Amino acid sequence: MQTYTSDQPKKFDLVTKILANEQVAQDHYLLRCVCPEIAESALPGQFIHVLISQKSALLLRRPFTIYTVEDDQITILYQRIGAGTDVLSHLNCGDLVRVMGPLGNSFCIPPNLDPAIVVGGGAGIASLMLHAAALRKLGVRTLGLVGSINAARLLTVEDLGAIDVETYISTDDGSIGHHGFVTEVLTQILEQPQVYELHNPVVYACGPHGMLRAVTKISRSYRVPTQLAMENRMGCAMGVCLGCVCKIRTSDGGFEYQRVCTEGPVFDAEDIVW
Amino acid sequence: MDNNSPSLETHVAGIRMKNPVMTASGTFGYGNEYADFIDLNQLGATVVKGITSVPWPGNPMQRIAETPSGMLNAIGLQNVGVDGFIEKKLPYLRNFDVPVIVNICGEQLGEYEEVTEKLNATDGVTAIELNISCPNLHCGGMSFGVDPELTHELVKAVREKTDLPLLVKLSPNVTDITVTASAAADAGADGLSVINTVLGMAIDIKSRRPMLENVTGGLSGPAIKPIALRMVWQVYNTVKIPIIGMGGIMTRDDAIEFFIAGASAVAVGTANFVNPRAPLDIIDGIREYLEQNGIDSIEELVGSLRT
Repeated sequence: MQTYTSDQPKKFDLVTKILANEQVAQDHYLLRCVCPEIAESALPGQFIHVLISQKSALLLRRPFTIYTVEDDQITILYQRIGAGTDVLSHLNCGDLVRVMGPLGNSFCIPPNLDPAIVVGGGAGIASLMLHAAALRKLGVRTLGLVGSINAARLLTVEDLGAIDVETYISTDDGSIGHHGFVTEVLTQILEQPQVYELHNPVVYACGPHGMLRAVTKISRSYRVPTQLAMENRMGCAMGVCLGCVCKIRTSDGGFEYQRVCTEGPVFDAEDIVW
Repeated sequence: MDNNSPSLETHVAGIRMKNPVMTASGTFGYGNEYADFIDLNQLGATVVKGITSVPWPGNPMQRIAETPSGMLNAIGLQNVGVDGFIEKKLPYLRNFDVPVIVNICGEQLGEYEEVTEKLNATDGVTAIELNISCPNLHCGGMSFGVDPELTHELVKAVREKTDLPLLVKLSPNVTDITVTASAAADAGADGLSVINTVLGMAIDIKSRRPMLENVTGGLSGPAIKPIALRMVWQVYNTVKIPIIGMGGIMTRDDAIEFFIAGASAVAVGTANFVNPRAPLDIIDGIREYLEQNGIDSIEELVGSLRT
């Protein structure tokens, strides 16, 4: 199993300058900042921990997966979903923001992977973009299954298209693409390995808890290995507060709570106890 | 350091420290997690995550929730156990010239004694902090710390097992903290850590479910600072043994307030989650405050509240 490796697993806590912070879909924003130290060492699946404000009642930082890395810049694609992301969405070009990273583990690439199937629900697709880009660079055929509530909230389709990911859209209201859940599209694809030329497929998924649980069930029934990028409320993101844990099977038949910020965010779907 | 610089050196409850700033238990892991961000040698002391006689898995998620100027946690003392700590975690901490204070917890008195005996027989442990105030255990933990008789019994039993400096971390979830403070002091504690988290809860009004799986949890952060400060002042006026003040300290000014109220040292907790440099920024800030106010040593500031 090939893994992304880093010579410098060092973490940084830096004040960075925002170059852009624009709305890209309903309630979703793309923030770009200059961050050479993090850009240089970030691996697909890793995240940054963003300080919202030290002067407001919002105490904790917020974690966001790194969406893209370009030269000395990184981007995050985030949903305005609560008070913290609301503050973030109002930051302007030129404002300074403190970010810690790169944090967490990264996706694995098995030998002879063909194709990679990335499955994103809502803003979950943001966690898979850097991985999709890396896979395409390696020449790995990649399918992108993008699920959204509606067309107005649809994310990343153009970015995936630009790197030649074969993209399948689904929306809950049918306003664009398949009318239904992204997991239905996954079933349809795994059901027809000849049609979709599935030789040695691996599923990589991120999204709401229920969706990931459904993805795990589907992948298991078709015996397709699956890696999930898990999300959770986070405190420190450095592995000390133990607030962001995920229940993981152990070899002795028991379980342990592992940290999404440190042992994760990427876990093998078969290891997760739902 | 030039001779005009104020002295931050202090000697609290038998623990000699280069400055009076510690990291609070449960907010600094076992030290190595912070190595990318700060030089551990600059800390006054480090207090490691609560240790129990055997490894504990901790509580189911969700374990934390942000609240206004604070956070709730119900981690449930997930830890590697005393043997795992001694074998895997302590060797790293021995690399630094910083006192290591080990926070210990248990459900039964015997577990506290067992952990104390093992730590007492180990090199590299400077002091023990007795956690009688964890609000997230269904037995043991806080139930010792809200009952002065149990507090006395437990502190006395642990005291007999070790000559290491013994701190007792008090619970704020009591009517009168001076009663448990006195019980701990009478039973032989060398110092008091004031305070642990304040019991609280939060609810998701969409689902009507608690934000924490445990329903209730411990509140920390700036939200509890006024409570902590009041309790430090009350304890300072009641017992003679030194106090380590903690509860929502984010900045230099917060720390200075605690010294004035009667704390001989302070511990930085939740701030570590937000700013890994917080303890060092606070140490620098204290030195600056002493210089600006013509105070020669930190000890002059302790309990200097003008009423």
